[in-house]
Amino acid sequence: MARRETGVAPTTPSTMWHVEAISPATIASYGRHLLELASATPDRLLSVIDIALPGLDLRVRMPEGQLADAVRTAFVQSGRRAQEPSRTIVVTVLYPGIGATPDPLEWGNERYMPHEISGLLSQAGMQGSLFHDLRFWQFYDLAAGQGVQLMADAGGFPPWEPGAPLRAFLHWAYAAQGRRMTHAGSLGLNGRGVLLAGAGGAGKSGTVLAGLLGGLSSVGDDYVLVDLSAGGATAHPIFTTLKQDDRGARRLKLDRLLGPRDLNWQGKVQFRTTDIQADIAGEGLSIDAIMLPRVGADATTIRIASRSEAMLALAPSAVYQMPGERESGFRFFCRLVSMLPAYRLDLGPDPKEIAESVSRFIRGLSS
Amino acid sequence: MDATKPANRDHALYMLDLNVTYVLAGANIAFEVFDGDVIVLDMDNGKYYSFSDGGSAAWMALVAGVAPRDMIGSSSHGEALPGFVERLRDHGLIETKPGLAPAPLGPDVIAALSGAKEVPDFTVFDDMADLFVADPIHDVEEPHGWPVVKQA
Repeated sequence: MARRETGVAPTTPSTMWHVEAISPATIASYGRHLLELASATPDRLLSVIDIALPGLDLRVRMPEGQLADAVRTAFVQSGRRAQEPSRTIVVTVLYPGIGATPDPLEWGNERYMPHEISGLLSQAGMQGSLFHDLRFWQFYDLAAGQGVQLMADAGGFPPWEPGAPLRAFLHWAYAAQGRRMTHAGSLGLNGRGVLLAGAGGAGKSGTVLAGLLGGLSSVGDDYVLVDLSAGGATAHPIFTTLKQDDRGARRLKLDRLLGPRDLNWQGKVQFRTTDIQADIAGEGLSIDAIMLPRVGADATTIRIASRSEAMLALAPSAVYQMPGERESGFRFFCRLVSMLPAYRLDLGPDPKEIAESVSRFIRGLSS
Repeated sequence: MDATKPANRDHALYMLDLNVTYVLAGANIAFEVFDGDVIVLDMDNGKYYSFSDGGSAAWMALVAGVAPRDMIGSSSHGEALPGFVERLRDHGLIETKPGLAPAPLGPDVIAALSGAKEVPDFTVFDDMADLFVADPIHDVEEPHGWPVVKQA
């Protein structure tokens, strides 16, 4: 049974809260209130974790615990050059018991339509999201580069959060820079590579793992940062997380590398790039093609695909993953697809053959 | 029932005006052309549309302001055009623009319409649409929560 809380802000009179539940009319004020609360929470109550990402210096202020451990290990520290411009964003993670943090309020009876909510918050200079089951709120002030994540307690985060922590904030911050967090895998060789796009189950992660175990590099198997600003497409690593379903893990003989592991919330084996000594291209990959993997072939083959196929594979997952920026997301991925050739990658059962096929293909693109 | 679908299809086709100009049905309809293939996104409901080459040619002509009547004689599949335009309208992708004079049929448009190998048609991708328009708080099955959408 969901609780009804009355929120009373302890900070300033302008942010006094006497509502029982949040509605479209109050969500922007609630977001602003939580952002003020985050700013007012002193550093001495929190651990400060600094992470250098491509074009972004992420400072996370959060209490110690499982999520802080995940934040320390989930990111690939950027190998960016000193002169590369970078923006600092600060995200504060709070739950009751940390300073004056109140219980998170819940959503009321009015319909919660994520894209309408996004529009309302955007008008107030923010973005935000709610995972209702846990009253897990995230708000981000786009101009200030300040974010707040409010949870009901130390463990009050969705099961996918440790694998890709603070992903929403990164999405909002990078979208404001004209870059995009992209739901795609990647493989590369000598700084050049391909994006692997497709719906869940298409074979993205298995292809990335086959390639990594076969001597290729990668910038991620699920989420990568794509940048079109340099006249071409580049992809950068953000998260160290890799995952594979049980059948794929057996085919790749991952148990020999990882030992026995519990499955994650998706029923997949989840691990870090360091666990398999994966070659992560820290300075990014220059992307030469989009590949559309598909499992179920007798042997691995590569053939030309249409750009509209690539768009259909890439855009839905990219556009719908996060609230907000629908049209700009669509336009970004249209531009990406227009810049690159697309290929269908029909995957045979042999990981070694997959790695060799993709390796040959990338060498051919580069020559 | 889909509110965009008329109750009587024949009646709707009769009502379809082939002599007027059609425009995109609002700012939330976005489209892009990839090597001649049109992809349309309806940002109101999250549906994607992928067009055949005949559909792509007809779509480009429509959004250029050419009246459907003027395309029929030039299209390699002219008989299918009224039904195609009707489907676009029923899916809420285009609407009539009263008072806007139809654009003339240019040589590029004629070449695209007459050179199309496939019947004007489109495929709807709505696998994500349920999640796009669902209320993740009130439209979910209790034991599972978001994103398991409650079945009607």
